[in-house]
Amino acid sequence: MFEEKINIRDLAVGYNRDSKITSQLLSQLNLSCKKGEITGLIGRNGTGKSTLLKTMAGLLPPLSGEILINNQSLVSYDRKALARLVGFVSTEVPAVPSLKVIELVSLGRYPYTDWTGRLTQSDRDIIHQSVKQAGIENIADKSVSEISDGERQRAMIARALAQDTDILILDEPTAFLDLPNRFEILRLLNHLASEKEKTIIFSTHDLGIALHEADTIWLLHNKNIVTGAPEDLILNKEFIRLFEDSTLDFDDDKGEIRPKRFYVLKSGLKAEGQIRFWTAHALERLGIEIVNEDEDVNISVEVLNGKTVWNLVDKKNRLLAHSVYELCLFLKSIINQKV
Amino acid sequence: MNSGKTILIFIGLSAALLFLFVADILTGPVNISPGKILSLLWGNHTGDPALGTIVLDFRLPKALTAILAGAALSVSGLQMQAVFRNPLAGPYVLGISAGAGLGAALVILGFGSFFSLQQVSTLGSWLQIIAAWAGSGLVLMLIVIVSLKVRDIMTILILGILFGSAASAIVNILQYFSQQTMLKAFVIWSMGSLGSLSLRQLHILLPCILFGLIMALLLVKQLNAMLLGETYAKSMGMNIRLSRTLIFISTSILAGSITAFCGPIGFIGIAVPHVVRLMFNTSNHRILMPGTILTGAIVLLTGDIISSLPGNDIIIPINSVTSLLGIPVVVWLVAKNRRLSTVN
Repeated sequence: MFEEKINIRDLAVGYNRDSKITSQLLSQLNLSCKKGEITGLIGRNGTGKSTLLKTMAGLLPPLSGEILINNQSLVSYDRKALARLVGFVSTEVPAVPSLKVIELVSLGRYPYTDWTGRLTQSDRDIIHQSVKQAGIENIADKSVSEISDGERQRAMIARALAQDTDILILDEPTAFLDLPNRFEILRLLNHLASEKEKTIIFSTHDLGIALHEADTIWLLHNKNIVTGAPEDLILNKEFIRLFEDSTLDFDDDKGEIRPKRFYVLKSGLKAEGQIRFWTAHALERLGIEIVNEDEDVNISVEVLNGKTVWNLVDKKNRLLAHSVYELCLFLKSIINQKV
Repeated sequence: MNSGKTILIFIGLSAALLFLFVADILTGPVNISPGKILSLLWGNHTGDPALGTIVLDFRLPKALTAILAGAALSVSGLQMQAVFRNPLAGPYVLGISAGAGLGAALVILGFGSFFSLQQVSTLGSWLQIIAAWAGSGLVLMLIVIVSLKVRDIMTILILGILFGSAASAIVNILQYFSQQTMLKAFVIWSMGSLGSLSLRQLHILLPCILFGLIMALLLVKQLNAMLLGETYAKSMGMNIRLSRTLIFISTSILAGSITAFCGPIGFIGIAVPHVVRLMFNTSNHRILMPGTILTGAIVLLTGDIISSLPGNDIIIPINSVTSLLGIPVVVWLVAKNRRLSTVN
């Protein structure tokens, strides 16, 4: 338990374009990943997430510092040995028309097969297992070009599973996917980490998903990485910092991102439970700050003949809304009059 | 596809190859009865010595050359399509054949006079083939250098065509300055022919092509890994630079050797791999490679038979036949894959 799989010491990553020009994206990184842990790398676009992950997968040389895998320097492994230790899934979508899913997964056995690439029975067993784990048995015989984006992502993960590595590095595995697919992929990764004891690192800019599914977050901001459990980072107000210079804000109570609001109106709100929550949600959107003491505008919710109604009272009017939508229409006209 | 069906297709292809090989020897401008030809091939040399010469010194080498050229050009096309991850790649389109042609032209036109009749000179033949390898290798290197900077596949293809045109332009200048006898040899060469090889040249061509094909067969695992692109290939432990260099050497030898002796033969390299992919319904090079060797040989044997169909000493240039056979396949490909742009 708690065995350290990856240790990063004073690492600097970036691209070595020429011998003269190097573009260093991140430096002085000190990070580690434990066995069976799933780590989410979060950061804005262009901050060096992909570069860091590619460097960790041995696809780019580190500019300085070192990466230890099982306490041995990554650069000292030979290609085959490293390929049996670290699997990589990129954002690249392979456009090979007549390649079948099962053939794609079989490619993962590359570091194990002989020069002819012939698959042994044990290779086939592992390929079969990987297909099953990724939940793509039903599309195994389909061509890669016929399946959906979510299925293709699963197929690429199955290929990495067939590579049978302790460490799995995934660059934006949930990009291009719809919400259910995103959660499915993350659930799969979570399962692989907890059941198969794989060490998984993935990057995403989908904060919500990372907060739900990752054991550890590497939060990349201002060329610096802050680490901790997602909850630690929320409690330490780290996420808010991520959005300082943007039009977004991070809600520490709900753990979600929302646009920054500029309030144009204050209102009292008398309501309970779910109805209060969602009414407040709508007011928030309209830029109405909810205050406790009685204001010029007051909203109270009551049940009339078994139906929920919203009473809206301001200096001039008293309006009765039968839905949040109606309430919003009234409020918008009040805001317009004020402005 | 199940393996039983795959084996069945292989058996069918082998049978077709054998049949077409015999059919190719049977057809030609001079009418010789099949029985006589078979007995000649069997080693019975009694009878008209002229017929023996036609069959053994002309038709047999021509049929063998068709097999070698078809296999070699198709395999080099398959390799280029895998390396550049581009369905439209091939030795002809990428200008590799033109590069080989430049090398061969330099020898035929430039140094030809030193070796008097290059047709009979072994040294001249070797020089011609090595110059063709160098020419095709040079164009390949240029394409690789450009493809490091430019990711767009269509741009790379257009550049390949430009390199090919540049090579052809240099050849044109060479022609202008060369002696008439050399020029004639060169013009005949440039029309593309399977029948102009002497037995001596076939002795050089055969080992070169076998070497290139064996190399290609040894590289199927690397070609498969390249299907997913370089990042994935590297992450699975492949040595990209070494593999690519080996594939390019194989391609240069295959396309270069054939171009050196047979002249430019177009569109076999692009078209055949696609026909094979369709037939076997796979992208696995362990199946595609032998399938391409067989199908390439079959297609060029067919092309050779068609080229001598008119009879009466008329032979259509093989390059025209392969172009007319191959171009519809390419047009179909372009129409089918409208989204060919970038893959990387």
